[in-house]
Amino acid sequence: MNGNHASVSESTPDSRLQTHPMHVFQVGAGSGGIVVLDLVARDPRVTRVTLVEPDVYAPHNVHRHLFPASAVGGLKADLAAEWLRDRRPDLEVVAVVADLTDAARQEEFARLAAACDVGVCAVDNEPAKYAFDALMRAAGKPWTLGEVLSGGIGGWVHRFVPGGPCYGCVASHLQRTVTEEPTPPPPDYANPGGAVPETTIPAGRASISAVASLHAVATLELLPVRSLESGVRSPKSGTTIQNTITDSAPTPDSGPQTPDSTSILLALARVPGVFEEAFRTYRFRVAKSPGCLVCAAAPLPAGDLDVAVGEALDRLAPQ
Amino acid sequence: MGLLDSEAGKRRLLSVEIPAIEAYNDGRDPDYRIAVARVGGVLVLSYRLKPCQNVYRLETRLLSSFPIVPPETRILTPLKHCPHLLEGQTVCMWRQGSTRASSRWDPSQFTSVFAVLAAWRWLACYEVWHETGEWPLPEAK
Repeated sequence: MNGNHASVSESTPDSRLQTHPMHVFQVGAGSGGIVVLDLVARDPRVTRVTLVEPDVYAPHNVHRHLFPASAVGGLKADLAAEWLRDRRPDLEVVAVVADLTDAARQEEFARLAAACDVGVCAVDNEPAKYAFDALMRAAGKPWTLGEVLSGGIGGWVHRFVPGGPCYGCVASHLQRTVTEEPTPPPPDYANPGGAVPETTIPAGRASISAVASLHAVATLELLPVRSLESGVRSPKSGTTIQNTITDSAPTPDSGPQTPDSTSILLALARVPGVFEEAFRTYRFRVAKSPGCLVCAAAPLPAGDLDVAVGEALDRLAPQ
Repeated sequence: MGLLDSEAGKRRLLSVEIPAIEAYNDGRDPDYRIAVARVGGVLVLSYRLKPCQNVYRLETRLLSSFPIVPPETRILTPLKHCPHLLEGQTVCMWRQGSTRASSRWDPSQFTSVFAVLAAWRWLACYEVWHETGEWPLPEAK
């Protein structure tokens, strides 16, 4: 571990670190997402959290989640907000009970993305990952994504920055496959105690938490760090450590740090043919694909998009 | 979030899919051009293909989650039951995790026209199979 980072993490909230309110926009508060949210929100730089999560807390969630069994039947978004407020009363928390792919709410989500400093994607379905990618690219904001591998043998943490590769570039590079299972019906909010179909990852809580913790660290690394003109005072030793941050972090106006790798693969178990050894990390620097059909800039007709779509479909209509 | 009901979807449609379809149609015999119809939230591409001897009518549906999930292609012309043919004469063209790049749908690399070309390849295999009883391409893995 870098000693400079250790010094920062041992510090109590320092007024010089909080000169700019930090807004985290997260989607997903499942068993992994809630761990990321909990860890990220405890960082004193974070002053505001907006969470988008549509699901109901179900009995089968209990053994892998932070929430107690008594919370079953509640909305995960509301439970997560309550969890955070109990631990950070000063934190502004906004819970949005919604599906990120809901077409009717895209303008609202675009506003949330534009207002945040960093995004956190903790969903386990491809449409929502692509939807979050589109929102964050449009807003020009950095974001992170965590994924636990089946069986909890390991997981991925991806970091995206404006102008860098998109999720499509990364998924293509990693030969990511699509999910073709039929989409389950949306949760019935009028019957929060009812059966709710939900995608599950057959992984243990320890594996999920390990990947989610790495996801949280990667997210916090993307937050801009204030410069320290005269160093940080260590609360334990009472001594001043000179220039502990400025040597390794951006200055106040330099924006988010640019990660030195796009994707981190964490192996948690030895699986012949997959991971030769457990507890190893692999770092990948995935390049932005110039021909990517998801993020490469392509000319658009001038004017209203709906009009242009209508005209295009008219040109191609069956004769 | 579909092609027709989100800004990202409309941008994809206007900047990628429509130009690709128009390029495919450009200079092609009118009988073999792709026509596009809107059916609810789904776009349906209708076209004919003639891989070898016979002409086939096909439909490729761009579902609401396209391009993240691959398009579905159905052959309207009656076929004999054969390998890689699913219920409703939907053709099996994509395999998750396939080691063959052209059998693994990639939304960052492929357009709906790639699905049309894949259907042409599938039909060429069908005609060979019809004559020889052997599917000429190895199974995708």
